[in-house]
Amino acid sequence: MWPEITTHLYEFESAVLSGLDEDGYPFSVRCRPYPDASGAEVLRVWLPPGTLIRPGPASLLCHTHDENLWNLKGFLVRGVLFLDFGEWSFEPVRFVPGLGMGGLPGMIRFFVRSRRNARRYLEKRGLARPRIPWDEINAAKKEAFAPSVRNRLEGNG
Amino acid sequence: MARLLRDVAGLPPEVEDVFEEFRTCELSTLARDGTPITWPTLPFWYSDEKRFTITTSIGLAQKALNVRRDPRVSLLFSNPTASGLENPPAVMVQGDAEAPDQIETSVAGFEEELRKVYPRQPASRLYGNDPLTRHFMDWYFMRLMIHVTPRRILWWPGADFWREPFELRMDHVA
Repeated sequence: MWPEITTHLYEFESAVLSGLDEDGYPFSVRCRPYPDASGAEVLRVWLPPGTLIRPGPASLLCHTHDENLWNLKGFLVRGVLFLDFGEWSFEPVRFVPGLGMGGLPGMIRFFVRSRRNARRYLEKRGLARPRIPWDEINAAKKEAFAPSVRNRLEGNG
Repeated sequence: MARLLRDVAGLPPEVEDVFEEFRTCELSTLARDGTPITWPTLPFWYSDEKRFTITTSIGLAQKALNVRRDPRVSLLFSNPTASGLENPPAVMVQGDAEAPDQIETSVAGFEEELRKVYPRQPASRLYGNDPLTRHFMDWYFMRLMIHVTPRRILWWPGADFWREPFELRMDHVA
């Protein structure tokens, strides 16, 4: 897990650190985690003094997309956030690859797993696989790309 | 620490701009063991109702399942790519979510949102265009809704998390 984290971490400018606040709600900030210089398998994070985030269960998300909301890429690390002599550290527990990780095999695994999850969701509720109204969806796509709609959304009339 | 704003008439325009123009936000829900788990998602902001809706496939249902067990969530708007905004703030919304156990396949009533999404993500129009993707990706079009009602909003001008954020409690919005 540790080699995967350190390899992929540097592919992203920053990460989203999510912990809990004093009311137990998720609380997220952007930060730049880096491996501890001692060689311990923990990530150091700099958080501002007075941050509302609390030590405890936490996760780190790295993700990107391009200008066309495509080439999605990301991963998540589950772990624990703690204070170590006044400095914040994140101890990873599990690496969870996301979209765009692992090349074509990773992509195939993602689609196969999602399809299986969907089947299980339906089976658990005793539901038949719903029919998708493709004509309706394709009509909506066509309309979304119509020049009049594009102009309105872009403020051109 | 945060600078609490009280009794304001509404959200500052720069915050609403972020809600409208950012392509993604990072949604955090709570796993069974209490760990906040964060996913990049596409949010829709309904200014009149002051709530967000996020949709997800039943093939990627974990975030909805988490919400049904514990409604506490946060949305962080911190990736301005493609938003067209100059030096926007980073915004975090904490709120309570609900995720009805109802699968939506029809896009009726969701046309305005699709008019936004498809041009923003043009390659997604390929999904469902041919028999192959219709067969292997039908699960993607079986959607669950997640509705988020904000309870407090914090924002960091210039997306500088080292600055003290502004805070707005939604029960203080006139």
